[in-house]
Amino acid sequence: MTLPDDLAAAIERARPRLGRLASTVLFFETIGSTNDMAAERRAKALAERSEGLVVVADQQTSGRGRRGHTWFSPAGFGLYVSVVLAPATARTDPARATTLLTLAVGVALAEGIEQATGLRVDLKWPNDLQVSRRKLGGILAESSGAGDRSDTVVVGYGINVQTQAFPPELRDRATSLESELGRTIGRHHLLAETLVALSRRYEDLLAGRFDAILDAWRRLAPAASGARVEWTTNAGASTGVTVGIDDLGALLVRIDDRVERIVSGEVVWI
Amino acid sequence: MDLDQIRSILDLVREHELSEFEIEHDGLRLKIRKDSNSAQIVTHAVPMMAAMAAPVAAAAALASSTPSSVTDIGESEIELAVVKSPIVGTFYRSSEPASASFVEIGSSVKKGDVLCIIEAMKLMNEIDSEYDGEVVNVYVENGQPVQYGERLFAIRTR
Repeated sequence: MTLPDDLAAAIERARPRLGRLASTVLFFETIGSTNDMAAERRAKALAERSEGLVVVADQQTSGRGRRGHTWFSPAGFGLYVSVVLAPATARTDPARATTLLTLAVGVALAEGIEQATGLRVDLKWPNDLQVSRRKLGGILAESSGAGDRSDTVVVGYGINVQTQAFPPELRDRATSLESELGRTIGRHHLLAETLVALSRRYEDLLAGRFDAILDAWRRLAPAASGARVEWTTNAGASTGVTVGIDDLGALLVRIDDRVERIVSGEVVWI
Repeated sequence: MDLDQIRSILDLVREHELSEFEIEHDGLRLKIRKDSNSAQIVTHAVPMMAAMAAPVAAAAALASSTPSSVTDIGESEIELAVVKSPIVGTFYRSSEPASASFVEIGSSVKKGDVLCIIEAMKLMNEIDSEYDGEVVNVYVENGQPVQYGERLFAIRTR
């Protein structure tokens, strides 16, 4: 589908700052899931060496979050975007670049949102976008392969934009840009600025500037230190106090006199 | 290799929290494997660097490859490919909790078919089969943490 004029104009204005992103932009008024579409097009994108494929939709009919959670995506309410990236092509330490990708995306989105709207956003490990502990946006990153080829990752993100009645289960846990700021936010400008920020942090990853990403992440995630969290292991629920992240982005949690490092699973701030 | 040597190897395996260790020496092959119950979390009881080594290596495998196929000739004449985890993370057998597993014991798989998902740093890594064959074993339960190099599936190749 051809891009709406104002979307195309926003992308073109941002073009000099988009680096290798948005070489191709696909727009859909309604789509099942932008991540699924990006994954479908990934092979073709790679064959054409068009890393940075961007899929945008006004509405997702089956927007997905982590592990079967649905992502609330009604028409015109939010920004729903997926981007194809290839962190394994990093010039320095591709393994670490891949490991830190999801943190880098969180940093970029927080920066892009602040640039576009002035709103300061917090990160909850590893990359939920929050304002006053309410969720403003989320990221779903998916890769495939057996590790024997240059893996691509589809990074999907959703940002709540308009003020809208959330379903009851989200009411106390979600927020949107317009309800935080009390004014109308242009989604196309927001799209362009988040892509620009993503491009910059992606270049950091590819060039091995990992400390820049980790430092920025730490500044944006005050609750990664000194906060009580709970998570579940095979042995049952554990609680501890966060003591930051390590150089691979794992969350460090102190329990009594030892520190554990968490790389996956659900962590709840209590 | 005497008992003392084996004992010191076991101590090293414990000290560095290895989930799997294999050595061949003077015709004796020793393989140690620990059931990992708290795999997604590596405790920093030992120096930081020891605990960090695993995920670094894990990520390296993700990016650079090592399809981690081992053909266990010693045990039988059947060609068994063991699919191992390329990263530290959480193992999922289906795309989402309500969905059917990607594969079951007895499933026939083709190269490129999805076997499982391993989540690490909120990146959902689909692990594809490198082989045509039949799944003959699933070593890890759904939702369990896995370590780098931990066995996930055995596939009888054809």
